[in-house]
This record gives sequence, structure tokens and C-alpha cells, in this order.
Amino acid sequence: MGHLFGFTGVSDMTTNIRQSAIRWPGLVAFVIIVGLLVAFSWLLLDTIIKWSLERSLGTLNGAEVNIERVDHTWVPLGIRLERIQVTDPAAPTMNRLVIGAVEGTMNVEQLLLGRLHFEQVESTGIRVQQPRERAGEVYQAPTREDLEGWAKQGLAALNLEVPSTDKVLERMELKTPAAISEAEQVFAAQKQRVNDARSQLPSEEKIKAYEAKVKALTESEIKTPQELVAKREEFEALKEEFEQDKAALVNFKETVTDAVEQLQTQFEAVKDAPAADMARIQELMQLNSAGLTEITALLFGDQARVWSNYMLLAYEQLAPMLMRSADAAAIKPKRGEGVWFSFTDANAPPDFLIKVAETEFAFGETILDVQWNNITHQHEQLGQPTTFSARADNTQLWNSFNLNGELALGADGVDARQQWQLKGVKLDNLTLSEGNEFAASIVAALLDSEGSVALRDSILDGAATIRLADMQVNANAENRWAQVVASALQSLTRLDIQTSIAGSMTQPTLSLRSDLDRQLGSALKTAALQEVEPELASLRAKLQEQSGGFLGENEEDLSELVGLLTTAENREARLQELLEAKIQTKLEDKVKDRLKGLLNGG
Amino acid sequence: MLTLLARFLKALNSETGAWALAFAFVLGMMMGFTPLFRVHNLAILLIALLFRINLSGFLVSWMICSGIAYLLDPWFHAIGSAVLQADSWQPVWQGMYESAWWRVLQYHHSITMGSVIVSLCFAPFLAIISYFLVTQYRQRIQRWFFKLRLVQALRANKFWAIYSDLRG
Repeated sequence: MGHLFGFTGVSDMTTNIRQSAIRWPGLVAFVIIVGLLVAFSWLLLDTIIKWSLERSLGTLNGAEVNIERVDHTWVPLGIRLERIQVTDPAAPTMNRLVIGAVEGTMNVEQLLLGRLHFEQVESTGIRVQQPRERAGEVYQAPTREDLEGWAKQGLAALNLEVPSTDKVLERMELKTPAAISEAEQVFAAQKQRVNDARSQLPSEEKIKAYEAKVKALTESEIKTPQELVAKREEFEALKEEFEQDKAALVNFKETVTDAVEQLQTQFEAVKDAPAADMARIQELMQLNSAGLTEITALLFGDQARVWSNYMLLAYEQLAPMLMRSADAAAIKPKRGEGVWFSFTDANAPPDFLIKVAETEFAFGETILDVQWNNITHQHEQLGQPTTFSARADNTQLWNSFNLNGELALGADGVDARQQWQLKGVKLDNLTLSEGNEFAASIVAALLDSEGSVALRDSILDGAATIRLADMQVNANAENRWAQVVASALQSLTRLDIQTSIAGSMTQPTLSLRSDLDRQLGSALKTAALQEVEPELASLRAKLQEQSGGFLGENEEDLSELVGLLTTAENREARLQELLEAKIQTKLEDKVKDRLKGLLNGG
Repeated sequence: MLTLLARFLKALNSETGAWALAFAFVLGMMMGFTPLFRVHNLAILLIALLFRINLSGFLVSWMICSGIAYLLDPWFHAIGSAVLQADSWQPVWQGMYESAWWRVLQYHHSITMGSVIVSLCFAPFLAIISYFLVTQYRQRIQRWFFKLRLVQALRANKFWAIYSDLRG
């Protein structure tokens, strides 16, 4: 160690100049040491920058960042980084971002003041979600729940199953036997009630006797006024009896009418019960998967997620890193690394600023240029948001694409908004699902999309429409339910998917819905019912037999009751006729005739 | 390493001033405690080399304190963070942050700030304690030390040969 710093010589010299407090050869040694340090740094500057950037970007990213090569230039002061791989903390085997190359020139004046200001940065070959050669180290595992997880399970998640008839019958109470039982009880009670009322009725013989008596009264000879009075009193007594019997008849009629109404209601209930039971059974025998309403998400969720990675790139990739860099205390440093605090004045220039950046995103052969302005984490100091815009027309992959937006980091979080219009994307052999039981792919389709997303206090809120036209879908399935889905998909030529984006910036949740949910849901339900149709037919016949048996047995009794009503009405009419008979007038006429005869005959 | 240790023992047993040794310990401690690649360490190195400070003592102290610093890192970070986040000091830090000179000193790094504060606070105590120990050693322990069987055994091996060579 001593040799390294040249202390042997220095020590020897100290013997000679012991009296002096200053050791001049030490100054020479110091200059040599500093010179060596400078030379060492100069020679290894690229490695030092690479190491520093990997460490600092890795801390901001929360997972390993690899840079393949770093080159620097002194005039102008600039740096070039090649093949930057940014590990996805949620999936360490994937890179959330791969950048082919980044090149930028720095402002020397600002660098001397400790600020990193890049005048112009150009990056090429940017791709998202690329596999890594080996899993990257994760420094801060994300707490988000893997929202794609359930969607990736594909149709297996539906767990389609139709319950057996027996299981359904266990779960439900059949209405038909209950209706029959209730109808039987009502029938018995009403029969008893009608019978009770019937016993109070004037019999046919009694009515005939009344008629005979009235006839006798009207046809009898009356010779004296006394006889007239007697006959009249006799008739009044008869009328009282008629009234009583008529009241009994009215009561009976009401009872029978009520009974007939009640029994007819019961008959209707028994008649309708089998149909109601079958409807309920069919309802319960349908596919028992809540996922039926999420078919669009199941089929297109993965792909929509990939598309959203591009659309939300600014939010998902850049904003979290800016937020982390803005809040040094929020990042738990590794031991021995410490934290760099920033004490920038509100009016001072930001510590980090890229004034203009051109980024080239690669989609296979197609390149999309995105222009950025004012990339920083201190927008309040800069007084301007970070803006980004992209426009590319007539490319190999799409007809037109237009994206613009802005992003600013404030005290309450990130505020941002962006909107896009994408037309005529030519989809070609796009796999939607590749499971063993179900495989589906879009052979060809044209995709249009437009939408907007806003970010308020780091919470996303947005909606987008994805329109698929001229679709050719290829789908194969082994499972009978999946076959229904496959068949419906193959018949699709166009599909409109409504997408909504919500949740926090780092954990966006996508929800997709379309008419496909309803169409496929309906097709699956029909298929499920066809599957159990033999069992249902047997059950339907059984219920109808029970219902028909009851109706057949009791139809005659009901007819009889209706007949009783007719009889009662007939008797009531006859009694009414008797009541309305003008016996007194006839008797008085007879008395008058008699008196006239006496007077004339003298 | 043996040479360095031998040099250190030689200094301890020689006529080298006790304060020279004590300051060497202090400077080595400061350089050991604080992160190596900092501008203030260049200043410490310059002082150690330019002034008549015992270099062996400085190097031994630096090495030992570098090891101790690893253990104390979380403590340095906590102290530095607390100081840098203290509300009443914010105007000072903000003022310093505007100056390129202070930025070069990297005072706004938590471990740097914490370790500088601790080493500055500890420096006077270490200087006095070191001076006291060196003088006490020379007055009372040195003779007894050389009589120890272990030391006598050591005097028979390579280490003693190096030590003797250095003594001339």
C-alpha cells in the first residue's frame, strides 16, 4: 500500500527535513495521485457512466437496467447509450422497454451547476414488452395484482358446466305439485261450502208446490169479501216463504259463483304450473359461469393489454420514473448508496431536463417517430408540461396514426391527458388464444381505434373504441362449449369493442365490452339447453301428466257446479215470477165481477 | 501489509510526535468514514501528504475506519437524511445547492452528510484519545510490551526482520 502511494520515498525524505512542518515531496505525491485518479477516470469514464446509469435507472425503475455500451464525446459534450434493457418489475423475464440506442448532447454550463440538461436526445429502436435473455433482478417488487392473470387463462376460466336435472330439481321447488295440492284443498273446501248452501235451497218439489198453491189461489172462486181477505192473507204468508227461499237461492248463487271463480283460478294455476316450472328449470340449467359476460375481455384482453402498453407508454413507463426521481425519499436506497436530495428553488431551472427528444418506436418494419419536449420531473419549476406527439400516415401497418398529449408532475401527483386516432391497422395472424382446448386467431382484419385518457392526481380515466372490420377469424375447439364460441367467432366479420381505462397510473385496469358478449352468451345458453333437452322433455311430460290428471279429475265437478248455478238461477227466476204474480188484483177483479153479477142478476 | 503494520509500530515506538500520530488517526478516520470519491477526501489526502502527519498511522486508521464505516452506513444515512430534511436548515441547503462549489462537495448526499457530521464531531475526541493513548503507551506499556513472550516470539520471525530493517 505504501509503495502504491510512493510513501517509501516520502518517508525517507521526512528524516532529512524533520524540522519543517511541511513535507513538500508530499505535494508531489498528491499531484501524482490526483493525476492517476484523473487518468483512471478518463480511461474508464464510459464504464463508470454505464455503471452509474445502470444503478440509478435501476433504482428508478425498481428492477435491473442493463446498458450494453456507453460512448462519450467531449466536443460537443455528449453521450451515446446502446441497447438499454429495462426489466419489468412485475415480470422479471420481460423487458418493459428496450431502447436500441439513445444519443444526446449536454449543456456544459448547466452541468457545471450540477444540472443535467440535454439539448437534443434521439433514441431509436424502442420496443415494449420484449423477452429477456435471463430474468432481471427486481429491487422493488410491484404490489399490483396481475390484472392480466385471469384473462390469460382464456376460455378455461369459464369452467362451463350445465347442472344435471336432478341437481336443479334439488335446488328448486316445483310449482306444479304445489299448485295441484292447493287446488285440491280449495276444491274440497268449496265443495263443502256449496253443499252447505245447497241444503238451504228450496227443492224443485217445493217450487212446484208454490206454483200449485198460487194457481189454486188465483183460480179459486171468491164469493164474499171475507173470502177475499182470507185469500189475500194466505197469499201474503206464501210471499214471505218465497222471500226466504229466494234469499237462500241468492246466497247459494253467490256461494257457487265465488266457488266457481276460485276453482277456475286454481285450474288456471294448475294449467300454467308446468310451463312456469319448465321456464325456471331452463333458467337454472344454463351455464353457470360469471365469465360469460366477459367473453370480449377473455378473447381480446391480452391483445388489448399489449396495445395499451403502447398507447399508455408515456404514463406507464415515463411517469413512474419521473415520480420516483421527484421523490427521493420514496425510494428505499440500497445499503451504502444513500439518497441524493434536491434543493432546487421554485424559480431555478430543473435539475434534469431534456428539451427535445426524438424517439423511434419500432413495430416490426414500421417506425413511429414520437417527438417529446421538456422531459423533466420538475414541471412546476419549468412552468411547462412534458408534451409528446406522434403522427405517421400510410405505413406498412396502418393508414394513419395521430397521437398527442402532455404530462406534468405536480404536488398532487401526475396530471396528464392524451388522445389518439388510429385508422386502417392491418392485423395479420394475430393470436387471441392458443390453449389446448381453444385456439383462436385473427387471420386478417382492419382495426380502427380512437380514444382519450386523462390522468388526474395519478388516477387514470379514459375510454377508447376499437373497431374491427373485414374480420376473418380462425377458431378451433375441443370442448363443446368452446366450439360454440369458435363457431360464433368464425361467423364474425366486424366487431366494435368499447374499452375503458381506469385505476392508478402504474396499475391500469382495462375493461372491454362488446356486442360479442351478448351474442356469444346467447349462443352458449341455447347450446346448453339443447344439451339437456331430452331430460327437459321427460320432465315436461311428467309435469303435464300431473297437471292434466288433476284437471281431468275435477273438470266434471266444476261443470256440475256451473250447472248448479244454472239451476239456482232458474229457480230464482220462477220464485221471482211467483213473487211478482198480481194475485190481489186478480182476486179483487173476481170479487168485483161477482158483485156486478149479483147486482145485475138481482 | 506487514510492512505497513511494521511502519506503524515503528512510528509508535519512535520519537514521532504523539500529535502527529493523533492527527493521522483523525484524518484516516475522516477519510475512512466518508465515501471515498468525494472532493473533501482530496483535501484530507493533501493535508496528510503535505503536512508532517504520520502516513502509516493515517493509512492504518483509514483502513480500519473504512471497515467500521460499512457497519455505520445506515446510521450515517439516517443522520444525513434527518439533517438534510430539517425544515429550519432548508434555506441553507437551498442556498448551497445553487452554488457549483458546494454541489461539487456533494453535501446533498445523505451518507456523505451524515458521515462528515459524525467524523467532524468525533475528530476532537479521537485526537485527544489518540494523543493520550500514544503517550501512555510510550511511558508505561512499551517496556512491558516488549517483555511479553508473544512479542518476543514475534521478534524472531519475518515481521520482526522487516521491523528491524525499517529501524535501520
